[in-house]
Amino acid sequence: MALSLKNTILKFIQLFPLLLLFYISLSGNSLINLKYFTINISYIVVYYWVLRKPEALGYGFIFLSGIITDVIYGFPFGTHALSLLVISAVAAYVRVVTVRITLLGDWISFFPALILTNLVYFMSLYFLNFEIDYFILFINSISTLCAYPLLWVIFSIFLNITKL
Amino acid sequence: MDTRRDDFGIAVRSAFLAKGNQQRFSLFALIIFSIVLIFIETIETKPLNTIRSIIKDTIYRGSLTVSLPKKSFVSFFDFTKNHVKLYENYSHLKIENNKLRNNIAKSEFLELENAQLRKLIDEQVASSSSLVSARVMLDKQSPYLNSFIISSGSNKKIKNGMAALDGVNFIGRIVDVNFFSSRILLVSDLNSKIPAITEPSGFHAIISGHGKNEPTLEYLPENHNIKNGDKIYTSGKEGVFSPGIPIGEVKIENNKVKVILFSNLNQITFVNIDLNKN
Repeated sequence: MALSLKNTILKFIQLFPLLLLFYISLSGNSLINLKYFTINISYIVVYYWVLRKPEALGYGFIFLSGIITDVIYGFPFGTHALSLLVISAVAAYVRVVTVRITLLGDWISFFPALILTNLVYFMSLYFLNFEIDYFILFINSISTLCAYPLLWVIFSIFLNITKL
Repeated sequence: MDTRRDDFGIAVRSAFLAKGNQQRFSLFALIIFSIVLIFIETIETKPLNTIRSIIKDTIYRGSLTVSLPKKSFVSFFDFTKNHVKLYENYSHLKIENNKLRNNIAKSEFLELENAQLRKLIDEQVASSSSLVSARVMLDKQSPYLNSFIISSGSNKKIKNGMAALDGVNFIGRIVDVNFFSSRILLVSDLNSKIPAITEPSGFHAIISGHGKNEPTLEYLPENHNIKNGDKIYTSGKEGVFSPGIPIGEVKIENNKVKVILFSNLNQITFVNIDLNKN
């Protein structure tokens, strides 16, 4: 009984990044909309976990979460999914070429990842004749970059505690 | 130089093509699939629309379920807050209660009438004036898109392009119809362009949304004499909506003709859909 409870807790801990990603997509919190700025929390979650624990987030699930975000926010199918996959691709590349993972290193590499992702996002919306406020997109990129260290610390503490 | 290029190639191949532990799909395959999906989005055919409707309806219901704990928490928080303020409000409520006692007969009647009207709206009964009422199901305020999801779709004969009203006031148009849900693009959204007419000056114009800011009147003639407080209605031009639906009134600020909407878009629970196209 005790073993089974322990296994359940362990399973839940292992599934935490996936559950978090799906929760923020389904509840419409991928973009945290504050008064003067917005933070794209799903970018941070995907980048961090693909970089640190790629087995915790399957690429198929990342794609699915992007599709859910597209539907919830009313964007054309595939735009967010593609953006999330691009940020995963950059994270996967950074993981291959780096040996030691540090906050500063991650943060610096997150910057080109965000630029590339938003470029792809912009191009796909432009292709579909879908107009958005690009100033908000710019502010969103800056605030997402600024919010990264905070979530990095929280996720790292979680990783250390759970010994995932 | 060549070695460095080889290293880069190996790293890219490893990141994009290798599936890795517990990965069923390679990143490259999924990226290609996403691009194909974006291309498919430009194609409008009945089978594709049916698949899209099923997917969207399922995700909206899922989102509604996932949002339930948050909604319950907010209600519980409000409930607790009200309890904390209970003693504070006691004397105020006592006075109010005396006043209300005098009007009890009237309020009972109003309660009955309110219950009947709410029942009517919940059951989404179409009125004789071809309006269909629907509840706002999801209101995810994205910074990029101002829209609502409502709980009626093609099952209530709602079609793309129909006008959405708050009471009798225009608030937006239907842009996406599924079987049991639809999306309303609000008049304040960047992608919203609504043909309108001013009153009493009678100028035709287009109302353009600007996201968080108020919508503005565009394509007005150069020598227009529009004043603050002039009313704006749908013009019915190009057969998009019925003419004469009230939208808002003019407020001129920094030489821009802004539109102050009659309805507060943040306070909408029920909407009416005008099934009559012009």
